[in-house]
Amino acid sequence: MAHDWQPDFEHLVDQHQSMVFSLALRMTGDRGLAEEIAQDVFLELDRNLGRIENADHACFWLRRVAMSRSTDAMRRRRVRGIDLWVEMEDVHGVATEDRATPLSARLEQLLATLSEPQRAALILRYQEDLTPEEIANTLDQPLATVKSHLQRGLKLLRARAQSHLKEYVRDNKFAGGLTDGRI
Amino acid sequence: MDEFEREMRQAFERRPAPPGLKRKLMEKRRTRKSYDSFFTWQRLAASLVLTAVLAGGFEWRNIQERRKEEAAREQVMTALRITSHALNRMNARLASRRRGTQD
Repeated sequence: MAHDWQPDFEHLVDQHQSMVFSLALRMTGDRGLAEEIAQDVFLELDRNLGRIENADHACFWLRRVAMSRSTDAMRRRRVRGIDLWVEMEDVHGVATEDRATPLSARLEQLLATLSEPQRAALILRYQEDLTPEEIANTLDQPLATVKSHLQRGLKLLRARAQSHLKEYVRDNKFAGGLTDGRI
Repeated sequence: MDEFEREMRQAFERRPAPPGLKRKLMEKRRTRKSYDSFFTWQRLAASLVLTAVLAGGFEWRNIQERRKEEAAREQVMTALRITSHALNRMNARLASRRRGTQD
């Protein structure tokens, strides 16, 4: 079908590089690999630019390909026996202090302890602010599966945050939120 | 949305891409494009060579077949000439014999 939208590759890179890089970084935990994945995703976009219908489609396409490329990269590394999820600030110098609170920094680390599908669902939910339906569409998974990943992932993260961040629980700051288990 | 989820959103804010990402990407894109165009030309050249070789082979086979046809025609013509010559001699002999019986 013909479409009027004229994609500008450089503009798309400017607009979405942070999104693609962040998705890959949070999925893999490796800055170098995340950068490689981001480059691959944009080069793939360049090859498929003719099929992109509009700006929203470009964004959807980039999210989808970034997630699948990240999963593939992790699978490849796992096959080679490399434990990929390294603590970001230890290896790549991402300062914990940059985060608004230590809980934010810790949450990002705790994300690594979740399974890949749970991590993917939570990243799309909280980084990209997608609804479960949009996540299901992006990951090409049934809605019920996505909802289950979100619920279980969030529950696990709350539980782990609770045990790792006792100082916050002691302050009772998140006592209500950490125990109710809602999405 | 509870406090924990707000904290999640804050923790999961997009990170800025590395400063050199766009530059590296554009370089890779340029390299890939020139690489692609080189391979396109190479593929085109290879197709032309292959077409020429196939056409040459086909033409060579045609020429060979034509030569064989010519040789076969020559052989038939020679056989016909020999036959014609033999028939002529036979005819002449019969004619002289007929003349002898009439005399």
